[in-house]
Amino acid sequence: MSAAPVITADSLARRFGKRTVLEGVSFDLSPGEVLGVVGPDGAGKSTLLQMLAAILRPSSGRCRVLGSDVRKAPGRVQAQVGYMSQGFSLYDRLTVAENLAFAAAIRDVPRAAYLERKGVLLAMAGLARFEGRREGALSGGMRKKLALCANLIHEPPLLILDEPSLGVDPLSRRELWKILDAARTAGRSIVFATSYMDEADASDRVLLLRDGRPLAVGSPAELRGVARGRVYRATASDPAALERQLTAAPEVLSFQKRTADTFRIQLAGDAPLRLPGAPVLEPVEPSMEDAFTVVAAASAPVTAAKEAREPRAPSAEVRVSAEGMTRRFDDFVAVDDVSLTVKAGEVLGLLGPNGAGKTTLIRMLCGLLPPSDGRGLVAGLDVARQSERVRASIGYVSQKVSLFTDLTAQENLDFFARAYGTPRGEQVRRIDRACDRAGYDAPRDGLVRSLSSAVRQRLALASAIVHRPKVLFLDEPTSGVDPLARFRFWRLIDALAAEGVAVIVSTHYLEEATYCDRLGLMMDGRMIALGPLSTLQAELGLSEARVEDVFLGFIARARGQARAA
Amino acid sequence: MKLSRTLAFSRKETLEIVRDPITVWIAVFMPLVILFLFGYALSFDVEEAPLVVVDHDRSAASRALADQFVNTSYFRLAASPQSEEEAEHLVMRGKARAVLVIPPDFGRRLRKGQDAPVEFLVDGTYASTAAIVSAYGRAIIYAFPKGTLELPVQPQVRVWYNPQLRSRDFIVPGLFAVILMAFPPLLTALAVAREKELGTIAQIYASPLGKFEFMVGKLLPYAVIAFAQLALVLAAGFLWFKVPMHGSFALLIALGALYVICTVSIGLLVSTLVKTQVAAMLVTLILTLMPAFLFSGFIYPVFTMPELFQGYSARVPAMYFVNISRGIVMRGAGLADLWFNVAVLVGYTAVVLGLSSLLFNKRVA
Repeated sequence: MSAAPVITADSLARRFGKRTVLEGVSFDLSPGEVLGVVGPDGAGKSTLLQMLAAILRPSSGRCRVLGSDVRKAPGRVQAQVGYMSQGFSLYDRLTVAENLAFAAAIRDVPRAAYLERKGVLLAMAGLARFEGRREGALSGGMRKKLALCANLIHEPPLLILDEPSLGVDPLSRRELWKILDAARTAGRSIVFATSYMDEADASDRVLLLRDGRPLAVGSPAELRGVARGRVYRATASDPAALERQLTAAPEVLSFQKRTADTFRIQLAGDAPLRLPGAPVLEPVEPSMEDAFTVVAAASAPVTAAKEAREPRAPSAEVRVSAEGMTRRFDDFVAVDDVSLTVKAGEVLGLLGPNGAGKTTLIRMLCGLLPPSDGRGLVAGLDVARQSERVRASIGYVSQKVSLFTDLTAQENLDFFARAYGTPRGEQVRRIDRACDRAGYDAPRDGLVRSLSSAVRQRLALASAIVHRPKVLFLDEPTSGVDPLARFRFWRLIDALAAEGVAVIVSTHYLEEATYCDRLGLMMDGRMIALGPLSTLQAELGLSEARVEDVFLGFIARARGQARAA
Repeated sequence: MKLSRTLAFSRKETLEIVRDPITVWIAVFMPLVILFLFGYALSFDVEEAPLVVVDHDRSAASRALADQFVNTSYFRLAASPQSEEEAEHLVMRGKARAVLVIPPDFGRRLRKGQDAPVEFLVDGTYASTAAIVSAYGRAIIYAFPKGTLELPVQPQVRVWYNPQLRSRDFIVPGLFAVILMAFPPLLTALAVAREKELGTIAQIYASPLGKFEFMVGKLLPYAVIAFAQLALVLAAGFLWFKVPMHGSFALLIALGALYVICTVSIGLLVSTLVKTQVAAMLVTLILTLMPAFLFSGFIYPVFTMPELFQGYSARVPAMYFVNISRGIVMRGAGLADLWFNVAVLVGYTAVVLGLSSLLFNKRVA
């Protein structure tokens, strides 16, 4: 393509005070190209995007966007781009139409053009029926779609989108990408940040970021090529034995259980994997997620804390049971008639988009929120009437990790040990044991504030298990953590379950479903499906289907039932 | 700067305001609450000060003197103890604020035309009240027994502008300045901080909307609210509290409009410095409400302050509007008398707006 590049970035860097948030980012973006910026929380994705939209001044480096220098002529850049920040960026007290009209008016869109584009955009976003509804009363997915429409109303040549599909339900996410594909077909360039690897796979080029540094830039095919020969699928007649082997093998970087007896394996090096007992090993085409795992491990070699252990076998002892649990906030039903059981040593995964009711359900089971209806028993205690005792016998890691960021790791651990009434003489030993089980091996004398999100995550887990709880609740513990760190975190959860802890964990990473014994799919407060992944697949007649397709199948079925009723 | 974009922004802001009950509440009710609270509660008038009389004379003359005190609205007889010790005890317990002690030979000395000293003791715990009480007491004693002062030099004291010394007539015009300093900037600062907190401002930054369009578009609706507040407090002051007006309504309203533009601009300046609504509220209150109460001359006259604080007061726009408001309402002053205060407010507004536009950047950090 001979056309002038839309973006030229040359060793862009940004510092806040002494802290370097991003450095050494260089790339060109041609007209019509789609660039995915991929990395975990704290990688510097938002900072990069804000500099591209000229709303954050680079500390050093050069960057031209749409022919203007972001430092010298920020106004010209700001006026042309479409920029969608993370979170909700529209006015919640304005209606859908008012928000769009405002977006058009401040961007000098003529009235006739506005009306025409509004019709097209709202129809594409499935929002045409909601023109008169307040933005704040829409679902999370709808708000995101509307924000995207507001950024397309002036037909910008460049769209800059900061994690557009974060926490959005799978259906809205597909619709969001349909709108983006139309924009791409119309010749718009797109830069978007994401922590979903499959989205990155669909872009023309990918920039992998970690800890403020670029790991790699290239087309998805190029990046996957780096991991070629290091990704295998293994099938075994004795999955438990294979899992033990994989855990022990030093050349295995990480692995995921795909179905009951197949595993996907990423290797640390190019040497082919040899395992005794000759399980069926076949090399497979790497995915973006595999690529990130391999590239990230190559840039910062890690010593995986692995220990061989017995496979886990859920016992018959029911640790958590809910019957018809419901929670209403005024007119709004956050959790609607949910029943479930979890046995000792079992991992139940709650899957669903933001606002599906996962957090509310977990909070009720933790005794933090009384149910409006129904009954919950945790470790044999009634969550409504014995909430104090319930809280003493569970561990809870909340979404926004509940550590004191101005205390050191050790001070946090001491506090939680004391708060749960650990005997003083036991304290040191129990904290050491908890850190060991939670894989927290970083120094304990640094302030929590200075820890990375993945390390913080493990410290939060350690704090939650100091008192040796029988039931562990984890509310989106892996949100915004890179794939390798997520894999390690799931290994820890697995190990805890093997020791007999009942685990309920929520996530919006659908691929994490494969780590769970059973899944609960939640949507609009209701449990639309509950059971092992293989059962759910069979129920829809979709064996081997991806979790996302299974989820979409159940959403379609739930909607059909709602219409029929 | 483009008018259509500015108006679109103002329109959006207006829609948000009318749909938020809290903003409407702060805009309409809070100024009235403050006006009524202070209009009624804050008074420097002394009425019915509890007095005890220790009458050792028990003559017709001593009774007449005590009656002179009690027959005014300034004092009421709280007790008539036998001794000074008992009287002191009553003062100690807060039952009496003043003590009149009449010696045994008061009536006899008066008849003989001799000096007849009496003792008038005042509880100085509340200094300003004590000064007024002692002045009233002295005036009553000097005028005894004929009801007129007979002194070699007879001062003819006349109080201008507020002959009855009604403190409400002086509090309410001062409250205009305080209230219009407190709420308009608070609303403005909160409105910008809310956009920063929710992240909606990032959309504004990444758009052609310029910083002057943003500032003017944001100021317009809040200036309108501030004008409404001005009308509201003036109406309540003149119609409800019946404060007499000696000057021109038109001038007061015109200068009031200038003043609210100044205070709304302060809100905008604060909003360029803070990131959250809590910070916006704290900084605005510290920067506006506190000095408006203490350093505007609203309660404590600026001319009696130490020089350092007079200098500080000169930086508080409320001081100039207290001068303007009291000048027009109480003294009937015109622009010729108040030009200096007006000029300072105009300059102040220009500086605040200039600073805001320097500090406002279409940048997230």
